[in-house]
Amino acid sequence: MSKIVIAVPSKGRLEELTREVFANAGMALTRPGGARSYQGEIVGHDDIIVRFLSAGEIARELVRGNLDLGVTGEDLIHEAAENGAESVIFAKPLGFGQADVVIAVPEAWIDVSQMQDLSDVAADFCAHSPRLLRIATKYINLTRHFFATHGIAEYRIVESLGATEAAPASGSADLIVDITSTGSTLKANGLKILPDGVILKSEANLIVSCAATWSKEKKNSLETIVKMLGGEITPQYQAL
Amino acid sequence: MNVGKERVDIVVTTITQKRTALTALVSSAGAIEIAPPILLTASDYFDLAGEEFGRRLLLTEGANGKQYCLRPDFTLPIAQHHLTRKNASPAAYGYLGPVFRQRKSGPTEFEQAGIELLGHVDAHKALANVLDFTSSALNIYDISAPRMRLGCIALFETLLDELQIPPVWHPRLRRRFGNVSAMDALLTRLSAPHTQIDTGVVKTRQQLIDEITQKMHEDGLSQDVGRSPHDIAERFLEKQALAAATVSPKKVELLRAFLAIAGPADEVLPKLENFYAMAQLSLGDAYNTFRKQIELFSQVLPKSKINIETAFSPRLHYYTGLVFEIYGNSGKVLVSGGQYDRLLQALGAQQKINASGCALWVNRLEAQREVEGKQ
Repeated sequence: MSKIVIAVPSKGRLEELTREVFANAGMALTRPGGARSYQGEIVGHDDIIVRFLSAGEIARELVRGNLDLGVTGEDLIHEAAENGAESVIFAKPLGFGQADVVIAVPEAWIDVSQMQDLSDVAADFCAHSPRLLRIATKYINLTRHFFATHGIAEYRIVESLGATEAAPASGSADLIVDITSTGSTLKANGLKILPDGVILKSEANLIVSCAATWSKEKKNSLETIVKMLGGEITPQYQAL
Repeated sequence: MNVGKERVDIVVTTITQKRTALTALVSSAGAIEIAPPILLTASDYFDLAGEEFGRRLLLTEGANGKQYCLRPDFTLPIAQHHLTRKNASPAAYGYLGPVFRQRKSGPTEFEQAGIELLGHVDAHKALANVLDFTSSALNIYDISAPRMRLGCIALFETLLDELQIPPVWHPRLRRRFGNVSAMDALLTRLSAPHTQIDTGVVKTRQQLIDEITQKMHEDGLSQDVGRSPHDIAERFLEKQALAAATVSPKKVELLRAFLAIAGPADEVLPKLENFYAMAQLSLGDAYNTFRKQIELFSQVLPKSKINIETAFSPRLHYYTGLVFEIYGNSGKVLVSGGQYDRLLQALGAQQKINASGCALWVNRLEAQREVEGKQ
């Protein structure tokens, strides 16, 4: 078992851009069975097995150590597990798939323009209401971590797996934490981003699993791939 | 009611014997031994304590889509049980059993024992019972001179009134109490609370309410569910009217000076008295109660090393009076407890019901003995 397993997004823009980045680095990905196949290879690199998976699955399996290496969004690593980011090495940002995880509140909240306002509002709200302020999001770990660093504990998360931006209007939450690239969807839903409420600037990354089993051969393959894609071998790699 | 008054005098040496003694203590005179279900409704914890506590729950989902958690503590289910009793007479509940929490290293199961004294009119006597129980438990594990940390929520909350801090700041200060950096940031804002906002034409409260209502209507936001146009307008006006909610630098300095008071009990009490003199405040009821509580701790645990930290709080809003933590050799908490008179109201009680209690970390107490034995 000396082959290294690398997972890349299996469809859409993410797959195209990943292929482009690998091809530019001299490692063209092939998918012999076409879009219906989930196995692939890299021409000239027999030591690499390529798997085509969904971006969310790649993040989860990297954290668990079932994949050695993968291309997926940083945001998804944080959501795969509370300590997800500690189980991986972000080897190289790949320059695509950019999106920000942000806090957005109703534009009608004319008194709220930064985090310190939200801190006041959270405390005031539960002093006047029998319930806590509710935040709709699928970014549960990132949200909890960010609010904890601001010392805000008095809020509840309402898990939202789609159309999060509609949560304030539907009455299921008071504000949201969501991913955005242009902010236009948020604006169309009467929401504004808090300038100091940007939780994470995410993009697609080449990510190494620290939980995977690393043999000497696999480590050699890893270093080659990371360097070819323009990443640096930092002291972090010694722990593998 | 004399929970824990009967000292366990039999000589106990093995872990099993100590466990038997602890079980006897938990169900000792006056206490109702209670074993709430291990599977509990998760939303009760989230509603009460928010996400910071919620992240530590071990969650699971029912076939009905409802979220459940494994019991993370005994206090909430015991308080809920107390509220279902027809006559809300004072009661003492003792418990011993497993609790489950999410830790950095992964899910953890460990055992807790403790008592809850609910509805006792004489709060001082109830606290004395909690301490007797604690002392008996420590005695079982041969711990006689532990380190402990005491704090008092009432001292801080009373000070806000005494310094006449504008009421609008009270809930905000209370919620950040116990978090050093968030409290520091908030205190910095107190003397210059809001960055000047471009207000343009000054609008009346009613004009603002009308505009906000109109905007909410356009964006399809309900005016009944979340923050109301009135709440938003009020806080907007508060931001505009900087002067109205500003706290003088002198008062902010006093709050900072108060929160910095910490040290051994015999040094801190004179420091506190100096502080009140400097702030030109009389030694009020909250201080006198606290002083008596310290005396009680020194009486019940005479060899303990008591450290007082005025800024210490478990960061759960239902704590009201004294709070304490007792530490083992490794620096880990062996016992934590205090007074939480706002808990039962937060769970739906119509009037204030006194509550105090403590929780023992049984596995740590047992490990503690081993460490001491090796030394």
